[in-house]
Amino acid sequence: MKAARQPVQRPRDARLLVVDGAGRIAHHPRSALADLLLAGDLVVANDAATLPASLAGRHLATGAPIEVRLAGRRSLAADDVASFLAVVFGAGDWRTRTEDRPLPTPLAPGDELALGPLVATVVRVVAAPRLVELRFTGVADAIRAGIARHGRPVQYAHVAAPLALWDVWTPIAARPVAFESPSAGFVLDWSVLDRLARRGVGFATLTHAAGLSSTGDAALDARLPFDEPYHLPAATVAAVRAARERGDRVVAIGTTVARALEHAGAQPGGIHAGHAIATNRLGPSTRLGVVDAIVSGTHEPGSSHHELLRAFVAESTLDRIDAALESFDYRTHEFGDSVLIERAVAPRCGYAAPRSNLKTATLANRLGRVRTTLPA
Amino acid sequence: MTHSPFSRAPLRVAVTGGTSGLGLALVEAFAARGDHVAFVARDAGRVGRVADAIAGSHGIVGDVAKKDDVYAVALQIGGALGGLDVLIHNASSLGPVPLALLADTECEDFQAALATNVLGPFRLTKALLGLLAASARESKAEGRRALVVNVTSDAAVHPYAGWGAYGASKAALAHMSSIWHEEVAPHGIAVVAIDPGDMDTPLHAAAVPDADPATLKRPRDAAREIVDRIDRERAGGVRAQLDSRTAGPSAQLDSRTVGPTAQLDSPTAGPSAQFDSDAARLPHLDLHTAVPAGSAE
Repeated sequence: MKAARQPVQRPRDARLLVVDGAGRIAHHPRSALADLLLAGDLVVANDAATLPASLAGRHLATGAPIEVRLAGRRSLAADDVASFLAVVFGAGDWRTRTEDRPLPTPLAPGDELALGPLVATVVRVVAAPRLVELRFTGVADAIRAGIARHGRPVQYAHVAAPLALWDVWTPIAARPVAFESPSAGFVLDWSVLDRLARRGVGFATLTHAAGLSSTGDAALDARLPFDEPYHLPAATVAAVRAARERGDRVVAIGTTVARALEHAGAQPGGIHAGHAIATNRLGPSTRLGVVDAIVSGTHEPGSSHHELLRAFVAESTLDRIDAALESFDYRTHEFGDSVLIERAVAPRCGYAAPRSNLKTATLANRLGRVRTTLPA
Repeated sequence: MTHSPFSRAPLRVAVTGGTSGLGLALVEAFAARGDHVAFVARDAGRVGRVADAIAGSHGIVGDVAKKDDVYAVALQIGGALGGLDVLIHNASSLGPVPLALLADTECEDFQAALATNVLGPFRLTKALLGLLAASARESKAEGRRALVVNVTSDAAVHPYAGWGAYGASKAALAHMSSIWHEEVAPHGIAVVAIDPGDMDTPLHAAAVPDADPATLKRPRDAAREIVDRIDRERAGGVRAQLDSRTAGPSAQLDSRTVGPTAQLDSPTAGPSAQFDSDAARLPHLDLHTAVPAGSAE
């Protein structure tokens, strides 16, 4: 795969690799997403808007330049904006790949960081040398204003120009609580929502504080994703329950939605509305209880997002997906192409066959009509 | 109509141009009944003073006419309120001050009016649409709609000489409201244009320096009417009056004292100290004097 270098959320030529429950692969224009879904399906998206989580500044004691990337928070509460988990880089900026960024000056509890109009204190070093807990000084309104005016969206060395907030907010972006964009949501704009409604496809949202997708530090990346707070509105829970009772599919737009829904579904008494913190990690041993299909960006093997797909398909299928993405030149990263993966129908690892056989068959029939585009 | 803060969940309201005139009166009216209000204005000092004076309000410094400010403002609104039920685009630009015939209006002044009165509300609505839609989805069961209010003027309807930049931009805002409404109503969001009538505000003083304040509506009264209208629109019982002139007593239209001749005869808008409106565009006074004739475009 190649990196998508232009920060265009919905390029006209964006593609969608579709994998049905039988593991069959088809290629579609991404604009066809609404047509691939069925009346009764429920699409669930993460409506978190993205914070300008990258804050440049200085380590006050030494004057050393640093970049702080906010990476985690304890809750979504409006006033809970003083404490953050953060990844700290040394000199330089986004033009350098994170893997090549120098370490920050050694940090210790009590160290103060001057970040534009903001002052933050290192509360504790969570994982030296980069991961710390910070506390901003000041009242909530002043902290929010400081982040809004001084912060920049987390940037990507593979994107040609610096990103502005409007580049990283999805069209449905609501509460600003994500640290990186829930970019699978780029696939949805308001006309797509209208098309979904006309097709009888339901739409619901949750708000999930999506964290950093990678830090460039292998030891830290192995800890991703961090714990992420989320909020499930009552209307969304009602819609999910109704879809499941009907035997219709729940389609998660993005890994954060899958993580939150599965976390909620695994709670005693099942999915319920309200605030919670996702501490789960989806992978090959996950038994999906809520989500039937996922729309995601194309992720490179080894990333936490890629690992999550193992909850949906067997390793052999994932290998075929990776090969298809590679040989058909799909674009990767935030502004790249997408996949729609329905979880495997065939029982594997001992879990029961999902209930959506009928719908899956219908999707398979749809895919059958475009078989001419399948790889040989 | 009285409101008990205990009888309903507080509204989450954002108001632009919230440190003077109608905007300030709206912030006060919502805060007084226990709603959560964030307001936007350009002057940091005034924003701080109003935020300090009105308990529970959130002051945000920004200029809705500036593209680079809009998302930072939207972020602070969403962060402070944790959601948004009502968005009120109240900040307004007169265009040239003193008012001028279109033939005498600098292009930059017309652009400034469009930036504040049309593009700003467009951008900020777009940036906050996700929050409004989330509110609508959450309160759909109670039959409540999220609401966008665009403050317009009868100058958007009647061709008052001398009000070209303002009137044309407000007409665009009113029509944009109608189109927004058609497009987002299925998502549970109503967009209405409301003409509050001629009020005793800094903006009016800039436009008509010699108007008798006694003949003008008090911003507090206009704010109360708008708050009531918002409650009705939220309940969805009233089909959005996109023309908007049913908003208040019809007397408001009769009360207009602005004679075209009188406005244009008035020598100047007065020194800048005379009005502290966040809505009026002081910098353009400077532009008039600083830009030599002929170099404007």
